[in-house]
Amino acid sequence: MRGTLTVLAAACFLGLPPSAAGDGYESKPELAARDPDYAAGKKAIEEKRWEEAIEHLGKAAVRDPDNPDLQNWIGYSNRKLAKYDLAFKHYKRAIELDPRHRGAHEYIGETYLLVGDVASAEKHLAALREICLLPCEERDDLERAINAYKK
Amino acid sequence: MKKHALLALASCMAFATFATLAHEGNESGRGKLGTVKFATSCDPKLQADFERAVAMLHSFWWSAAEKAFDDLFAKDPTCAIAAWGYASILMGNPLGGVGSAPADAKKAQAALEKARMIGARTDRENDYIAAVSAYYENWENKPEKERQLARSKAYEALAAKYPADDEAQIFNALYIAGTQSQADQTFAAYLKAAGILEPYFKKYPDHPGVAHYLIHSYDAPPIAEKGLAAARAYAGIAPSAPHALHMPSHIFTRVGAWEESAATNLRSIEVAKAGEIDEGYHGADYAVYAYLQLGRDGDARRTMQEAMTMKSKTTRAVWLYAYAAMPARFAIERGDWWEAMALPVSTTAAPFTDALTYYARALGAVRTGDVAAAEKEAAGLAEMHKKLEEAKNRYWATEVEVQRLTIAGWIAHKKGDTEEGLKLMRAAADLEDKNEKHIVTPGRIVPARELLGEMLFEQKQPAAALKEFEASQIREPNRFRNYWDSARAAEAMGDRAKATAYYQKLVTLAAKSDGSRHELVLAKMALTQR
Repeated sequence: MRGTLTVLAAACFLGLPPSAAGDGYESKPELAARDPDYAAGKKAIEEKRWEEAIEHLGKAAVRDPDNPDLQNWIGYSNRKLAKYDLAFKHYKRAIELDPRHRGAHEYIGETYLLVGDVASAEKHLAALREICLLPCEERDDLERAINAYKK
Repeated sequence: MKKHALLALASCMAFATFATLAHEGNESGRGKLGTVKFATSCDPKLQADFERAVAMLHSFWWSAAEKAFDDLFAKDPTCAIAAWGYASILMGNPLGGVGSAPADAKKAQAALEKARMIGARTDRENDYIAAVSAYYENWENKPEKERQLARSKAYEALAAKYPADDEAQIFNALYIAGTQSQADQTFAAYLKAAGILEPYFKKYPDHPGVAHYLIHSYDAPPIAEKGLAAARAYAGIAPSAPHALHMPSHIFTRVGAWEESAATNLRSIEVAKAGEIDEGYHGADYAVYAYLQLGRDGDARRTMQEAMTMKSKTTRAVWLYAYAAMPARFAIERGDWWEAMALPVSTTAAPFTDALTYYARALGAVRTGDVAAAEKEAAGLAEMHKKLEEAKNRYWATEVEVQRLTIAGWIAHKKGDTEEGLKLMRAAADLEDKNEKHIVTPGRIVPARELLGEMLFEQKQPAAALKEFEASQIREPNRFRNYWDSARAAEAMGDRAKATAYYQKLVTLAAKSDGSRHELVLAKMALTQR
């Protein structure tokens, strides 16, 4: 109880509402990551229930429309359903929201390979090379996928 | 009338449940809070209490204001406008972009519903209730941005309908400021709000909201200077409101007014010692940062050590950050790379605070030339980055990425790959420029662009180095290290006039230094030899 009160009182001092102690000052994941639909959508992805994933993630995106992770996952689920136009739309939105989103660059690059557009895939590999000045898996994975496609 | 009274009684009982244990915190609401005039149709005996509650609302004294409005309704169950205040405080910080917590939104919606059932006695009060209701309408299904816009639109209409109601104008300005997008570098909403508030600052120099909202409306590097008058006034207007003691230092830090930042934070630390330990750390970090810019290393050390004696029982990042940042700043701002290398590593609930120590250790190691040790610390930094990425903590992952690029750049530079070193260091500086400084910190441990300048200087490019130092001054003004670095770079490129100007700036900045910095001795020598 005392600890709770301390947190509540502390929140007050910094100009924070007691029940939102730490908002603005705390380490917190993106809002969507705390959304029940986001969690349900991620679980559906793990279980390869793509339609359901799109439904949950879409609801979460209504509440948090500027979240690139949500857009990336919606794109990924559509890609798995071979709905490439929708997949591109959401991946592009993710990159628009966060031009440094490594996952979206990798996935959209891989999707371009699925439709036979190697040049576009290579553009995203080039983007990843700019972003990943330090080693990153996304760049390596897309590079491998492009090399494999070319063989 | 009887029905009216019964409804009021029922509402009162409902309201009574709104008060929570949170009120046992810093809830007193006592002391000086400034002057607010807000006419109501409630029991005249409660008018002063109502205006005091509005003053708390203006100073974001969350729990105290919540309780005050709750109490007002309990004492006068026909005082429907109390629900407006209650719902207003439960929206949270309108400038924070996060908004009301779901539980608070439900409480506010219930209170507003009761208020509508009771009905206020004047159209004006009903219009205030309608204005705040715009924020909560269909709250569950709207992103915060839409709620903010709905609120701003409703208050704009309220202000237009009651042009002689100064409180309506002031709240309208606050909620306009609340629509400011971080991507808009013209700060259109902030400046529109400030334009409304400035005349009221002259008309009501003792109004807590006007001074407070002006600070927020100017809380961005290019416009911060305009907020100095309000920052200097606010702590004096509402010295009993805890937020009013620390908040001015946000402007003082932006403009490099270090004496004032240290002074107001020392006051906030004193209040914090009474039980707000986490915030005591937060204020101490701001004060330590300020003292280090003034070359008052003894005061910085003392403030840090006193803070470290406070024991927090929480895992909140607000104190964990300060706990890690203060010793890292203390070592690095003074260029004590060996001390930085020896900082003890912690494992806490906040990986980005642990990263500060890895970063300081790595920077210390690489600047002493111990590349192997730096590479080891860089691995720790990479681990922190991975944790933040996995937690989808995008902002802090980016901050740690800046640190990783910085260390990788310095390692390459020290290994002799000067081109790669500069490429990585420049990428770090550019990335940092795009990631606005977080309010938990007065500033990064050291600005990345300053470190880029230092690397260029080591690579015998003083003109390019000076360019980076001067670019860094725009966002991080009046820094001790920057003035010293700038003077050295100007000296090396043969610009004696500029070097003299920077030596003079350094000596002026550190006029009250305790004399522990060798840079200051050298600057004074350089000036006497001119």
